[in-house]
Amino acid sequence: MHDRSTPFEATIKWTRKETRDTFTCAIRISNRDIQRGYRFVPGQFNMLYVPGIGEAPISMSSSPLDRDIMHTVRIAGDVTTALSLLGAGEVIGIRGPFGRGWPIEEAEDLDLLIVAGGLGIAPLRSVARHFMKTHSPKKKTAHPRRMLLYGAKTPKDIVFRDEFPRFRDIFDVFLSVDRADPEEYWRGETGLVTQLFDRLSLDPVRTIVFMCGPEIMMQTSVRELILREVPEEKIFVSMERNMNCGMGICGHCFFGPKFVCKDGPVFRFSEISGLMGIKEL
Amino acid sequence: MSVPATARKLKKEDLSCVFDQLRASHRVIGPKIEGGVIVLADIDVHDIPAGFEDRQAAGSYSLIRSDRPEIFSFSAGPDSFKRFLHPPVSEMFTFRRSRTSMTITPSGREEKPLAFIGIRACDLSAMKLYDRIFLEGPVKDNTYASLRSNAFIIAVNCCRPGDNCFCSSMGTGPEVKDGYDIVLTELRDSFLVESGTVRGQDLLARLALEEATGIDVDEKAERTGACIRAMKKSIRAEELPGLIYRNPDHPHWADIAERDLECGNCTQVCPTCFCNATYDLVRLSQVSFKPPGLSGVRVRKWDSCFSRNFGRVHGGNFRPSRRARYRQWMSHKLAYAIEQFGLPGCVGCGRCITWCPAGIDITVEAEALKDAR
Repeated sequence: MHDRSTPFEATIKWTRKETRDTFTCAIRISNRDIQRGYRFVPGQFNMLYVPGIGEAPISMSSSPLDRDIMHTVRIAGDVTTALSLLGAGEVIGIRGPFGRGWPIEEAEDLDLLIVAGGLGIAPLRSVARHFMKTHSPKKKTAHPRRMLLYGAKTPKDIVFRDEFPRFRDIFDVFLSVDRADPEEYWRGETGLVTQLFDRLSLDPVRTIVFMCGPEIMMQTSVRELILREVPEEKIFVSMERNMNCGMGICGHCFFGPKFVCKDGPVFRFSEISGLMGIKEL
Repeated sequence: MSVPATARKLKKEDLSCVFDQLRASHRVIGPKIEGGVIVLADIDVHDIPAGFEDRQAAGSYSLIRSDRPEIFSFSAGPDSFKRFLHPPVSEMFTFRRSRTSMTITPSGREEKPLAFIGIRACDLSAMKLYDRIFLEGPVKDNTYASLRSNAFIIAVNCCRPGDNCFCSSMGTGPEVKDGYDIVLTELRDSFLVESGTVRGQDLLARLALEEATGIDVDEKAERTGACIRAMKKSIRAEELPGLIYRNPDHPHWADIAERDLECGNCTQVCPTCFCNATYDLVRLSQVSFKPPGLSGVRVRKWDSCFSRNFGRVHGGNFRPSRRARYRQWMSHKLAYAIEQFGLPGCVGCGRCITWCPAGIDITVEAEALKDAR
């Protein structure tokens, strides 16, 4: 196992603008030995380091089977802004992978429902790409069924918009935007992602849910799922906190007694249902 | 009472022999008076504030000369081992970067391992928690690991409690149970010395001490027992985790927030508070070299959950209110740490009470938490 408290060098292979404030950055670890020893599961994250600026926790948006490690980032603070200014051939530091990812194996034979909001689709694109790579396309089966619910602010804020046709190869896709842009043709739904649940016919006994998005969206989505008798044990949510060290020693990501960085970021909802509604935890 | 095979007796005037044994191989850290308080520093035997006692109360601390004959009759000052094993500021690595290459060099540590003399049961319990946090993972922290490795621990059993101590109700003291190389108990005319490790045993063998008797072991039990009986404060350690989990919206949290100054003193003096943040310091003088790039150091420093920035992420703050920040701190001390690491996050040393400028007393505040009827 490589050292995870000191960053190692990675080279940026390419960057791509996704929406007005998000971009994807593909990197490759420079050192061959570290590269070979580096394994992640979808849902885990790396600490991306721009020397002189700082680190930011970013989940992987690529599949572990992809050659390069991709991160899809919102330009929000100093580090992510600095990252957005780097281009192919330039180097950054990375530490990772950290945390607990999605239980992919548990999802193999069950109906998988992915619920994503905004940039929350990034760690779930990792799951989608995993299934796209391990299952032959154009073979949607009735069971196990795979569904993708995605909500964005406006059509222009749909991250990975170009990839949705390919997601449709193996997922039933349901899209919704909070408000449609009058200048752009939009034939999808308008409103909150939670209203899409009415369009699904879920078999609660054989459904597993992976969810990532704003906390309020996840809370209302979980409520909808529980109403439809999906057990809390089969709902997985990815939490966001201020991860600083990634390895449970800095205390910034506390969610009650949980370290989001090492106990999460993916939690079985039953583990945290008691904490979820508490204000300012 | 039966006498442990490793128990020996050390004459009080021979305490310096322990220093002599350690000095060649270790940097010896122990208690010393500085600026009217007992701090931890590099010391020699005569620096130990023998014959001093501290008077502590909520928000106050003073040292007085005592007429008692003991060397270790003082209790915890604001300092703890934390300042050495998890320094307030520490350099993690230096970096040098150009557009297409980057060099990271982990910072070197001092060569001599540390030896702590006079560490008490409460702080040893805190050190055990630190080991779980920084070493037992899932990822080991290099900075802590290098400072902790080969640290030699000479513990002291408390025979007199400090005014704000409540270790006995936390189950963390006053008697040292494990985590030491050598433990001393101060008796009337000598120290009872016991070793807890092979290293400790070796050191005692080199001192060629006389064996302890049943009378000495009885006197130790008597003295630590007297310390428990003299302890004024206590806390409901068993009930509190449940009470805290059940009452995140208890009105008392807001009541504490009214008095709380958010200075972070409690988190600084607490031997279990470990939260930290990292920063890059760029060396301005070396911004330009060939190829163009920059260099600097990455630094870790203590952080505090009382800081407004602590729970901040882009576009929001997870704990904007003072009420939530105090609740976070106390919940972590008395409830969360047990779930996280299997050890209490509060060791009953009373430092947070003494050094709180508003005199907030965790034992009193905890007492006010009650389930709603």
